[in-house]
Formats: sequence, C-alpha cells, structure tokens
Amino acid sequence: MSMLALEGVGRDFGGLPAVDSLTMRAEPGRITGLIGPNGAGKTTVVNMIAGLLKLSRGQVLLDGEDVSTREAQELARMGIARTFQNIRLVRDASVRDNVLAGFHLHEKTSTLANLLGLPSAFRERRALLARTDDLLEKFGMTAMADWPAGALSYGHQRRIEMMRALATEPRLLLLDEPVAGMNDAEAYKLAAIFREVADEGVAILLIEHNMRFVRRLCDHVCVLASGRLIAEGDAESVVNDPRVIESYLGS
Amino acid sequence: MSFLAGYEPLFELALLNMVLAFSQYIPLRAGVFSLGSAAFAAVGAYAAAILATRYGVPPVVCVVVAVVAGGIFGALAAVPLARLRGVFQALATLALVQIVLSTALNWTALTDGALGINSIPKAVHLTEAVLAVVIVGYFLHVIGLSAIGRGFDIIREDETVAVSLGYSVRKHHMIAFVLSGAIAGLGGAMHAFSSYSITPNEFGFHMVVMLLAMVVLGGRVSVFGPIVGAIILTGLPELLRGFQDYRSVVQGALLMASITFLPNGVVDTTLGWLRRRALTRGQAGTDATEVTT
Repeated sequence: MSMLALEGVGRDFGGLPAVDSLTMRAEPGRITGLIGPNGAGKTTVVNMIAGLLKLSRGQVLLDGEDVSTREAQELARMGIARTFQNIRLVRDASVRDNVLAGFHLHEKTSTLANLLGLPSAFRERRALLARTDDLLEKFGMTAMADWPAGALSYGHQRRIEMMRALATEPRLLLLDEPVAGMNDAEAYKLAAIFREVADEGVAILLIEHNMRFVRRLCDHVCVLASGRLIAEGDAESVVNDPRVIESYLGS
Repeated sequence: MSFLAGYEPLFELALLNMVLAFSQYIPLRAGVFSLGSAAFAAVGAYAAAILATRYGVPPVVCVVVAVVAGGIFGALAAVPLARLRGVFQALATLALVQIVLSTALNWTALTDGALGINSIPKAVHLTEAVLAVVIVGYFLHVIGLSAIGRGFDIIREDETVAVSLGYSVRKHHMIAFVLSGAIAGLGGAMHAFSSYSITPNEFGFHMVVMLLAMVVLGGRVSVFGPIVGAIILTGLPELLRGFQDYRSVVQGALLMASITFLPNGVVDTTLGWLRRRALTRGQAGTDATEVTT
C-alpha cells in the first residue's frame, strides 16, 4: 500500500478543469518528483493533498484511508507537512521563532499550564528551542537565528519554510518549488538534506521546475501538463519522453 | 510629591485604561478583529456595581465575579462571532456592544437605566490599579511566550500556514475571546470601584474607539504596546489643554500621523528597530556576507 495515493483526482475552477483524472503515488523513503510547465496544476495538486482545496472528483488516500474531505489541520496531525511556493513566514518574527512555530504538534503541556505560565510550559519551551537550534544547525542558519525572517534573502527564507515543515516531523513532506531562486551549489546542499530526510522513511513529493535538480534527486517523476499526467517513470526516461519534450518546448 | 498627588486621578485613569487596552490587545494579537471589549467591560462593571450596592458584597468578591462573568460572556460571544473575519467580525462585535448598551439602558429594574448606578464604594486606588496592571501584564507576557502566544502570532499573520502546521484556529480564537472578556470584566469592575458611579454611555462607541486606538498606536505584539498606547491617549488630552476647542482635532491629527508613519505601533516599531540595530552591530565584526537586509 502506498503512503499517498491519488485516484482519479480532479479539480475544476469555474467549470474548467485545472487538474483532471490524476492518478499517482508517493512511497516512504522515496522522493517523487512532480514536474510540468507553468500552469500545469502542480500547486493545485499540493493544495488538494494538504486539504486547502476541496476535490471536485476522485480520492486522496493516506495509507489506504480516504482523506479527501479532511480539514488541513487534521491532515497536519496525520503527518502531512508542506512548504509554500510563495514564501509565507511571520516576517517580523525571528528565524528561530518561525521554526519554533512548526513544533506545535509536539507540544504536550496543557492550555491551562500555558495560560498560567507553569514551570512545565517553560520546560517544554526550552526543550523545543533546543530542537529548533538542531534544525538551524543542520540547515547552516545558526548565525541568523535572531534575524527577522523578512530581512533575509529568498534562499534563506525557503530554508526557514523547510525547517518549519520538518519541525512537524511529517510522514509525507510536500515541497512546492523549494529551490526556486537558488544557485546550483545551494540547491545541491539542500538536495543532500532531502535525501537524508527521505532515508529516514519520509515520503517526499517534490514540485519543481529545475530539470537538472529533478534528474539528480528524484527516484520517480510524474509529469503534469494542462492538469493531466502525461508521463511517469524514472527521471531519465521521462526527460527523454517525446510528449514531455513537446509540452516543455512546444512541437 | 504634592505636585504628583494632584495628578493621582490621572495616573489611576491611565492604569485602568491599560487594563482595558490589554483586553483589546489580546484579540488583535490573535488575529481576531473584535471590538467587543467595551461590552465585556460593561458586563463586568455592572455585575460588580450591582453586587456591591444592592447586596453589600465585598469589593474583592465583586471583582472576581466580574472577571468570571466577563470571561463567560466572552466565551458565549465567541460561539457565533469567532467564525467571522475582518470587517464582518468588527461589525458584529460592534453590534454586541450596542446590544449590551441598550440592555443596560432599558432593563431599568436591574441597571437603573440611563441614571446608572451611583454611590459605589471607592475601593480601587492607585495601589490596586498598579497591582492589576502588573498582574495582567505579567500573565499576558507569559502567555505571549507560551505555545498559545506562538499560535496567536502565526494565526494572525497567516491562517493558511497555521492550519498547515496543525494549529486549531477555533481553539485559539476562543481563548482570545475568553481572555479578552475576563480582562475587560476586571477593567470594568475596577472602573466602577474607582469612579463612584457608572452609566451605560461610558461603555459606548467612545470607549470602543479609544481602546482600539490605544492598541493600534502602542502596538499589538509586545505587551508594552497597550501600556504605552494607554499612557499616550490618557495623557494627550491633558497636554493639549491649551488648544481648548481644537483639542480633539489635534488629537485626531496626531493619531492619523502616527498610524501612517508607525503602522506597527510605537512600541513594536521601536523594538524592531532596536533589535535590527543590535544585530547589525553584532554582525559587523563577524561575517556579514551571508545576510542581506
């Protein structure tokens, strides 16, 4: 059974299908690429999986369970995390506080303890801050921990998005164009981290434009064009598929 | 010292306004556009005043009852109002203020209507007011640092991100309404015990605007925002006494100017500026290449 399975998923906007009869899978420990030209419907797919968009047709299955109608908050609790293509951080808050916010699902102290400022609440805060600092270290951003997130470059802001998503300790990680605006050296540094995360048994769905990056990183690639799946398979065969070349370059 | 003593009522007023401003600060920090603080304050003030004048209940007990009443009223109001957003929420909470106000005006058997409730014992002085501000301010500071404060911040900035990280918007908005109600209940009761009498109109549009202005002017993230906002807007009319008839005009113009140039409020803007300066200085010695400002 696949961790994530999309069965004939479709979504219409104003009667026009943005995504139609899409069937695909993501497996634990693997990085699945979802590529396609602009407007192919990639972000729509991510939003449907994350519960931010309702499906018009089809089913999303998580470990075989139909989760098509679940709310985003419930899906987060079930282990789905994501990054946003258009970076969405608390710009005035520090890098550290932005990442700390991602640990919400691992907070165990009661609301009352938090309201009264009991020692247990402070202990938990310290413990989560230590885990935040571990993540910052892993992404090489310790030196920037106190900076307001909005003051940093796009590349750094994307890393904050990733740290925040990883802080939830997801089973399924949806990365929406995580290396857009980064140079190859930066991107490959992140690729190593993604591989490490996948090796821990997380299923990663990577939305990406950058073909070189996808070829290098993805175990399995699905190609979307005008909302439909036009090819899938290992990276090399997909890249050389005439239909894929046509959709990217025109005939 | 005798010079200061003359200003004691003004200090007391500023402190009580701080408590009410705290009640407006909590929902704004959580991304709730509630203007209901005036309604919650009226509930607390009337509960305390009625218990004290008709039943001779000791002031301390009255204040506790007012806090609980305000909190419960906040929770009840949250059920229909927490699901609204933006201007719709503002309008609906404003309607709540109108409902409470007209109840206070027309339920004369309970509230004595427009005459208000008089001869309330004076139980709140400068000391009690300072104590209330310190206690509420401390708890709000602690809550701000806690998991709940983090939830408030992320929900205020971006609800989509918040739900993606598993935050329950409904729960956090409910907490914001209950805290807002309880703190306003406290502020209302203390106002009643400080000013000998209360009338319905004190809790009307004027208070709504005043509290909102205090938080917007002061800042809605740091706990010191509402404190500074309350000091400025309580003290300003005194400083502008010389302008006489034009006092409101000058005050309004100052408010417009400060909101235009300091949209994050005096305190949050200053703190942000200080933090950036400290970081830039710390960075100057080491390697500044990685960070772009």
